[in-house]
Formats: sequence, C-alpha cells, structure tokens
Amino acid sequence: MRLSEVAPAAFLLALSGAMALETRNLGFWSDTTPGPAFLPVWLAVAGVVLAVLRLLEARRSAPGAGWPDKAALLRVTLIFAGLMAIPALAPLVGLLPALALFMAYLLFAVLRQRLWPSLATIAITGALVYAIFMRWLGVPLPVGLLGF
Amino acid sequence: MEPLQLLGQGFATCFTPLNLAFILIGVLVGQIIGALPGIGPAAGMALLLPLTYGIPPATAIMMLAGIMYGGMYGGTLTSVLVNVPGEAASVMTAVDGHQMARKGRAGAALSIAAIGSFLAGIAAVIAVVFITPPLAAFGLKFNAPEYFLLALLGITASASLGSNSATKALMAALLGLMIAMVGVDPIQGTQRMIFGQRQLLEGIDFLPVAIGIFGIAEVLSSLERWQEMQPMRTRLRDMWLTSHEWAQSRMAIVRGGLVGFFIGVMPGAGPTIASMLAYVTERRFSRHPERFGHGAIDAVAAAESANNAASHGACVPMLALGIPGSASTAVLLAALILHGIRPGPGLMTEQSVLVWGLIASMFIGNVVLLILNLPLAPLFAALLRVRYVYLAPGILVISLVGAYASTLNFSTVWISLAFGLVGWFMIKLDFPRAPLVLALVLAPLLESSLRQSLLLSFGSLKIFVERPLSAALLVCVVLSLALPVVSALRRAGGSRKVG
Repeated sequence: MRLSEVAPAAFLLALSGAMALETRNLGFWSDTTPGPAFLPVWLAVAGVVLAVLRLLEARRSAPGAGWPDKAALLRVTLIFAGLMAIPALAPLVGLLPALALFMAYLLFAVLRQRLWPSLATIAITGALVYAIFMRWLGVPLPVGLLGF
Repeated sequence: MEPLQLLGQGFATCFTPLNLAFILIGVLVGQIIGALPGIGPAAGMALLLPLTYGIPPATAIMMLAGIMYGGMYGGTLTSVLVNVPGEAASVMTAVDGHQMARKGRAGAALSIAAIGSFLAGIAAVIAVVFITPPLAAFGLKFNAPEYFLLALLGITASASLGSNSATKALMAALLGLMIAMVGVDPIQGTQRMIFGQRQLLEGIDFLPVAIGIFGIAEVLSSLERWQEMQPMRTRLRDMWLTSHEWAQSRMAIVRGGLVGFFIGVMPGAGPTIASMLAYVTERRFSRHPERFGHGAIDAVAAAESANNAASHGACVPMLALGIPGSASTAVLLAALILHGIRPGPGLMTEQSVLVWGLIASMFIGNVVLLILNLPLAPLFAALLRVRYVYLAPGILVISLVGAYASTLNFSTVWISLAFGLVGWFMIKLDFPRAPLVLALVLAPLLESSLRQSLLLSFGSLKIFVERPLSAALLVCVVLSLALPVVSALRRAGGSRKVG
C-alpha cells in the first residue's frame, strides 16, 4: 500500500478522533431530544468505518497514476507558498501591491514567462481587481503601511 | 396562476436592461470558462459569486445560472478543436468531435453540438416549467423526516452515482458534513468544534470552501504541467451541416436530451454522467456502432444534447425542494442563501419573481448561446490561442480577493487556501469534490430535520417509516448505498470468471 492510498484514511481517522474529543463535553442526548454532540458523534463513527473500508479497498486496488512527479510537485509547492504570502504580506504592504508581487513572482520566478506579456497580465489583472472590487462593489481593500 | 402566465411574468422580469446585460455576461463567461481546460462551471460560479453582492438577487441568480449552462456549450470548443475537454461533461464530445475535426469536419461538429445543446436545452427548460411547480406543491407536504431523508438521499446518491469509488465519494461527503458541524449548534445555540478559535464561531462558510476546492485547486492542478494548446482552425462556411449529417443527428438529439434531462433531475448524477450515458445509449441505437470513436456526428449530438439538458434538469430538485442535484446547482443554492433567500418548496411562491425570472432567463440564455456558438464559433476558437499561463494568475488573484470581499477578513482567505490544498489533494488522489460541497450545503437541513424528527418521535426511529413517503425515501437511500456494493460484487465476480 502506498502512502497516497493510506493518507486519506489516516486523515479521516484523525479528523474523526478530533471531532469526538472536541464534542466530548457537549450533550449527546437530553430527555427527549438529541443534543449538539449527537450528529458529530455519529459522523465520527461513520468516519472510522469509512477509513477502515478505504484501507481495505486500498489493499486491493492498483496504484493510481495521478500523483505528480518531482518537478510538478515543486512547482505546486512554490505557487502555494506564493499564495500564502498574499494574506501574510497584505497587512504590511496593502492587498493590491501584495497581489502584484504574487503575480510577478508567479510569472517570472515560477513559470518563467516573457517580460512584456507578464507585465501586461499584472497591469490588466490589477486594473480589473481595482475596477470591480474597489470601484464597483465598494469593497475597502486593505492598505499597507505606505498608504496604498 | 398557470405556469405559462408565470413564465410570461418571468420574461417581463428578464427584459430589463440590467437583467439582459447580466444574462449576456453570465452566458459569455460560462462559454469562456467551459472552453478553458482546468476550470469548470462550478468553479467559475464560485469565483464570481462574490461579484454578485452588488446586484439584485434575481439578476445574480440569472447570471450564475448562465455560467452553469454556458459552460456546457463552451466545453465543446476545446473538445473538438484541441482534443482536451474544456470541462468534464465534454469528455465524450472529445472522443468523436476531435476525430471529425481531423477529417476536416470541425465546423460540422461544433454546429451539431450547438444545435443539439440548444434544442435539448430549450426542451429541458420547457420541462422545468411544467414539472417544477407540481413537485414544489408536493414538497409542501413534506415534514421533518422527509426532509432529513431527502437531504440524505442527495448526499448518498451523489456518492453512489458520481464516482468510481463509493467509499471515496462517501469520505468526501463526510468531510463536507464535518466542516458544517463547526460553529454553533443550530437547535440549542451551543458552541461546537471551534477548537479554541473564536473566528470559527460563525462556522465555515460555503464560499471560501467552494473557492478553494474548485477554483484554487483546479488552477494549481492545471499549472503543474500545462500544455500549450494548438487549436485547429475552423471557418464559418465549414459550419453548414449536410442533409445526411442532420438526418443522422436528429434522433440522437432527442434521445440525448431525454437521457440528459432525467439524469439531471436525479440527485447527484449531473451532466458528466448524463453525457456518458447518452453516448452509450446512442451507440446501442445506432445501426453502425462501429463508427463511434471514429468521428460519428450522432455521438457528438447525443453527448452535447445530454449535458445541456442535464444542467437544466438539475434545477428541478433545486428549485422545487431546495435539494441541489449537482455541484453547480449547489453553488446556485448557496448563492440564494447568501442573498438572504430561503430555498425549499416555498421558494416557488415566496420568490415567484426570482424563480420564474430565472427560468425565463434560461430560454433567453440558450438563444444567446446558439448565436455565440454558430456564427461566432470561429471567433471563440481564436480565443483558445490566449495562453493559459497568463490567465491563471488572474484567476488565483480574483479567487482570493473574492474570498476576502465576502467577510472583509483575512481568515476567509486562509480558509480558501487551506481548502485549495485539500481540493488539490482530492484531484490528485481521485476523490470527487462534488459530494463535499453538496454535503456542506445540505448539512444544516439534514441536521435540523433529523433532530426535529427525533424530537417529534421522542427518539423513536419509527418516524422514518411511518409515512409512506418517508418509507419510500428511506428505501431510495438504502438502494443508493447498496448500488455501489452490488456493482463492486458483480465486478469482482466478473474478474474472477475472467481469471
């Protein structure tokens, strides 16, 4: 059995355990009615059953071919790290500049695209976000320490 | 009032400049999203949901529905011209459509797909007009046990019909239910499963989950290793069908439309299964089944008619009972809730203007899509030359700003990112994502109706079999769970014989 086959079952088992622990102080049943822990407990039980079934199923199934190779995995990791930097940086530099930085990082550093089309992409996307969210919907996008 | 009178009022609702403009935007965006590989209509709807905060609810729902069925038309372009399905429901179109393109009949394939989608779509909307009101009236007789079982059926059916592995699909649905337990208990108002995080007191919203699971996950997956598309060229004059091609296709459109509509109405099935089933059905009916897979125009007609009919058919349980039949209708239902509208059998009477406006907009949207896909097909084919790497950053950025705009809080952005990662793992490990969002949408109804039922019966489970309707629904739930077990046993038996 490969790790990718076991991991989802282990994740569900862990989630079921966390659910049971987190609802242990809540009522399962009062006099005539189910309490707040009623459904979570049953879901945790179902989670354990399904996780075991999945493990049994994974023992018989052939390994899947969908898992990416190292290069693809590295690219996804880099893109995701860039995405996580957006909410981390936005309170400091402002959301629009954080988005522009992310796009520049993605297009130049990760995807290695040409200069002018990438700059055009950043400018057009920034203008769209500004026009739709700030001007049309009136969403106050957070500004950074420098005021933009 | 009669359905036709109400439909007339629906057209009156649609024929305002604002509504017509947003129907056009919806179908246009749907057409483009459908044509882009790696992002489906449900993802597009989830991404654009935050943009609807600034417009009236009826207009918003018309636009989002336009994306849903517009995606069915758009998926054809990439299937035929590039041999890459623009979205899952166009997989079967790629099989024969691209073979037709290689034989110089790309225009005919696009033409029959547009005509089939249009005819089946219009027929399906007519069926929606006449089936939805009586079903909603019937739904008013439902009590808590029926609602619990109906919500449960929505989840179990999506798990058993919509995936290769029922266990995986049930695991996805269970994850959706678990996410819905976070926040405050709906009956007693007790804090539950917030893991010490006060930001989780209001629960985990549908929107950041959908943006992550569909939008971010699909873009991440597409950027792993993208291929530059080399679409075949097509010209307007190539789009004329010969009389022989039309004769081959017309009954395929009828059969595909019928199969698609009935599959669409069933909870959990959706357009992808509809197009596959229509393809298989058409091959059975064909006098020359050996042509299938080698450029059979009737195969394209059946698959495309089916997926569009199914996307409209899925609106029947959503509008009549408040039970979404597919991932796209789950997003549509969430949009209703976000706009402060309570779905359920009362929707047809309480929000008559919205519901009939939506149904009328589907007629208008299908006409617009026919125009976009017949004379303007070569223009959209040219759009496929825009490189995906330049679109992906924009999609990611708009996803995150949309998530932020829904609460003006970065915690929603973090939730979207977390579910983006969960969605990416689900794609890679071949876990279906639709059961997760369906379960998340149906969880409040499922829990409150379960607890109300047990409260009414003083804890007795007999309440679920006492009324014929609830007993019938219970049988359906059991059957939907038994179906994958039976087919797995049959598969195992078959492989043993072969061995």
